[in-house]
Amino acid sequence: MLQLTALPAGRLRRGLTEPLLPVAALALLAVAAGALDATVLCWAAVGALAGFALSGSV
Amino acid sequence: MLFSPGWRAPIRQGEVLAVFSLGLVLGGTLSAGVVWLASGLAAPVPTTARAALTVLVAAVAAAREAGLVRLPLPQNSRQIPQEVLMHRLRTGSLRFGFEMGTGVRTYVSASSPYVLALGLLLAHLSAPATLLAGVAFGAGRALSAALTYWARSRERDALIAARMTWVKNATALSVLTATTLLLLAA
Repeated sequence: MLQLTALPAGRLRRGLTEPLLPVAALALLAVAAGALDATVLCWAAVGALAGFALSGSV
Repeated sequence: MLFSPGWRAPIRQGEVLAVFSLGLVLGGTLSAGVVWLASGLAAPVPTTARAALTVLVAAVAAAREAGLVRLPLPQNSRQIPQEVLMHRLRTGSLRFGFEMGTGVRTYVSASSPYVLALGLLLAHLSAPATLLAGVAFGAGRALSAALTYWARSRERDALIAARMTWVKNATALSVLTATTLLLLAA
């Protein structure tokens, strides 16, 4: 019988909080919105990207 | 650090994060409001010219992040005083977040916020659309703090430092691509 092993919580947490993940998601959203001429959504995604690009140690 | 492990203050760290994030969003909204008021000045310029100028600025920003051009950008070269957090942690975090959210009270370490501000200024969108971009700016900045909080890792600062070049370059290239696509669609 196939045994499923859960991912160690630490590794899962590290993966889900990887800083490049939101960049990839927001970049896709911005480019897709730009391609579809969805101006408002495109600028909102660019806004979120610009804010995230200021990530630092707070 | 506000959201790193080892928190000892009498207020829950999650509560501080929520208030700090609210401040970031309010600060971003205020700055977007100011940009929207100023954007009326760009209205007489033809739409295509404004879009082309935005793409040009985004291209320069991407080149700057890639290290192809050296270009000093205007910024308030000071840190927000840590004393704002000393006495009242909730209101202090709100103020700290608000000042950071405006994007004009402390260092701006990436080029993309300048593209955002200039792009919104030139695009002259409706007030709700411009304010939404300001809210998103604050939310994007808050997301970084939230991820640090959720990561619960003492190595978080080192990880962020290691990823920042990638984050800034990917952001600048995405913004350039997105604004170019908007220009082509205009």
